[in-house]
Amino acid sequence: MPPRVVVTGCGVVCPTALGVEEFARALREGREGARPISLFDTTGFAHSHGCEVTGFDPRRWLRELPSDRVGRASQFAAAAGRMAVEDAGLDLDALRALRGVVAVGTTDGGSHELDQAVEMEIARGPSGMDPALVRRIPAGALSVSVARELRLSRVDAVTLGTACAAGNYAIGAGLDALRSGEVDFALCGGADALCRRNFTGFYRLGLVAPRHCQPFDANRRGILTGEGAAVLVLETAESAARRGARVHAEVLGLGLSCDARHPIAPDEEGIARCMRLALKDAGITPGMVDAISAHGTGTRANDVTESRAIHEVFGPRPPRTIGLKAMLGHTMGAATALGAVACALAISRGFLPPTINHVETDPECALDCVPNRAVPADVRIMQNNGLAFGGNNAVVIFGRHAPDAPPAAG
Amino acid sequence: MDVSAAREPLVVSAWSAVSPFGIGRDAFAAGVRSGAGTARRVAESHGEVPHDHACLVPDFDVRAVLGRKGTRSMDRVSGLAVATARELLAGVGDLGDPTRTGVVLGTSGTAQQMRDFTRDSLLGSRPFHVNPAIVPNGVMNHAASQIAIWHDLRGPNATVATGRTSGLSALAYARGLLRSGRARRVLVGAAEEYSATRAWLEHHRTSERLALGEGCALFLLESGSAARDGARRPLLEVLAVESQVALGDDVGPALRQCLVDALDRAAVRPEEIGVVRHSAAPGDLGRQEVEAVRSLVGAEALTRAPDVACLGETSSVVAAFQLAALLSVAPTRGGVGDVAAITSVTDEGTVACGLFRLVRDRD
Repeated sequence: MPPRVVVTGCGVVCPTALGVEEFARALREGREGARPISLFDTTGFAHSHGCEVTGFDPRRWLRELPSDRVGRASQFAAAAGRMAVEDAGLDLDALRALRGVVAVGTTDGGSHELDQAVEMEIARGPSGMDPALVRRIPAGALSVSVARELRLSRVDAVTLGTACAAGNYAIGAGLDALRSGEVDFALCGGADALCRRNFTGFYRLGLVAPRHCQPFDANRRGILTGEGAAVLVLETAESAARRGARVHAEVLGLGLSCDARHPIAPDEEGIARCMRLALKDAGITPGMVDAISAHGTGTRANDVTESRAIHEVFGPRPPRTIGLKAMLGHTMGAATALGAVACALAISRGFLPPTINHVETDPECALDCVPNRAVPADVRIMQNNGLAFGGNNAVVIFGRHAPDAPPAAG
Repeated sequence: MDVSAAREPLVVSAWSAVSPFGIGRDAFAAGVRSGAGTARRVAESHGEVPHDHACLVPDFDVRAVLGRKGTRSMDRVSGLAVATARELLAGVGDLGDPTRTGVVLGTSGTAQQMRDFTRDSLLGSRPFHVNPAIVPNGVMNHAASQIAIWHDLRGPNATVATGRTSGLSALAYARGLLRSGRARRVLVGAAEEYSATRAWLEHHRTSERLALGEGCALFLLESGSAARDGARRPLLEVLAVESQVALGDDVGPALRQCLVDALDRAAVRPEEIGVVRHSAAPGDLGRQEVEAVRSLVGAEALTRAPDVACLGETSSVVAAFQLAALLSVAPTRGGVGDVAAITSVTDEGTVACGLFRLVRDRD
């Protein structure tokens, strides 16, 4: 039997909260992160709300990493990594002697900085771009920045560019590395910074909502682009028990699939297959899942296709299915990592975050999305869906950790 | 989890490349063995570039190579990746259940189309007067997903972006997929495109005057038994893939530690390494890389595999080209250790290495 893997630390930088405790409060309150975008000039767009991270001073969180030498997404990732190891109560000197993986998923990497370089190119010509700015662009820096902030050298630092499912890919990479025994710990998550290119792309495709994101609502208008980061500390249950760590949740299983159909449109078969793979990997049946954190972008294509796939796998009465993007916007590479933290908090603290901005459920979706208000709930097993452009699907299942019981009974 | 698969050796049983030497494995192998330079004057259609020479895949026009169907808006790096997958798959026979074949690609996508898109938004009469057809091209996972769509590969599909170490990062990730039983075989490798935007970004990022290269190399990675089932001969066994982070400015000590840990994991002694293909990194980075390798395995091993510098600075694809270079020469017999290594370093601080056992004919 491979070792069981648990979450012992969470770090969060998101539009509604900095830090896991504030994130838990924001989820319970149904706090909404939408506001007019300030990070780039939105002149000429008919509407330009987004979910920006506000009040983030990197110097408050970063001790080792020179924040002026890395991009905005790297700052988010490194800050979330610092928060996560503190939440886990890890001794960094001990950690530095161990083998680890640092996996950070992203959609846009350093595109926030690339956009600025393009502006500079327009103003001064290509030879006039600022080298210091250009050096902040490469996506590889997202994972390396976490390692450098924590002064971890013997880690495999990998940036996964699997777009909007990338956080789950990163958690999956950590899960598999721990199960195989190749590493002793994993810092996994996702990060992205809001940028013009991303916003303009979704806007041009007609997928950006004017003011609010309303997953599964009959009158939904699309996504709001967002930004942030989340990092989770994963270790084996044995390691957590040995150091007396508090466990947020157990990682029960992972599913990965590719639609291989369309560059943008999601595909029911590929999504359903991914969920079935995750359930099989977790060793559980669909009836054992208490709740789902949906990909739930608030677009017509996503919500209907994802709902159909959920019904296909879970039958006519699927588990309650929440859409966090109503509160957080679509934080891209951070989205499934933030979803993972929300799952862990739902399990450990006994509540389900709401799907806010909800007026009327789309009959084509037919899900109980926990409208508008958080509810107390005995969540023993929760599924975290991630679906990306390119048909890159990744689903992770979390469960309450009961050290002496088999994982499926947890 | 398939425990038996976890213990089985993982092998490369096929490979191909699209490179400045042309399309296909044979062109690559003959080219790197010859060591002929591939830098040519950059066509004027690229506009203003910082360095007038580069190593491009000759005559690589996406629509000419892949046909006109489904290629109208395809970006260059996706075209290179899809073409390489086509070359590889043409030689391997039926791979069976498409949901059991994964794709792992090291790439940072197309800087050119990302730049063009933002530029159009900034300069157009309306900020949303942009080409909607290229929106997906600007996402890093587009090339890997195009391989999946074109060749109906529905297993796990992943993109890794770690700069010059991307090929090794992809290999490590692919190994994880096979070990955990999430795929039975994986197309794994890396891709990079030449463009004026990439040339300018590289120009500002480093102080070196670089002739940039481009291309893609892909490998079929599977267990020994999966290769046997498909009647494919193992070409090379993957013994270890290791990656670490340099915390200071000198990557040498971290690379040395990385090699030591890889040797330890694979239970291989330094003297068993007969061949090392380093990444020919530019400037100080390269000197630190070579010195770290030399201090551990001696100088001679460094001379026994074809140099990849003849392909130019190939950034995200360099580590995959290094592996292809190892596969381009017949393994030597007798006297030399039969373990081969590749090493890689990046400006961002990632260092990586891979240890392989070359499989001889009739081994």
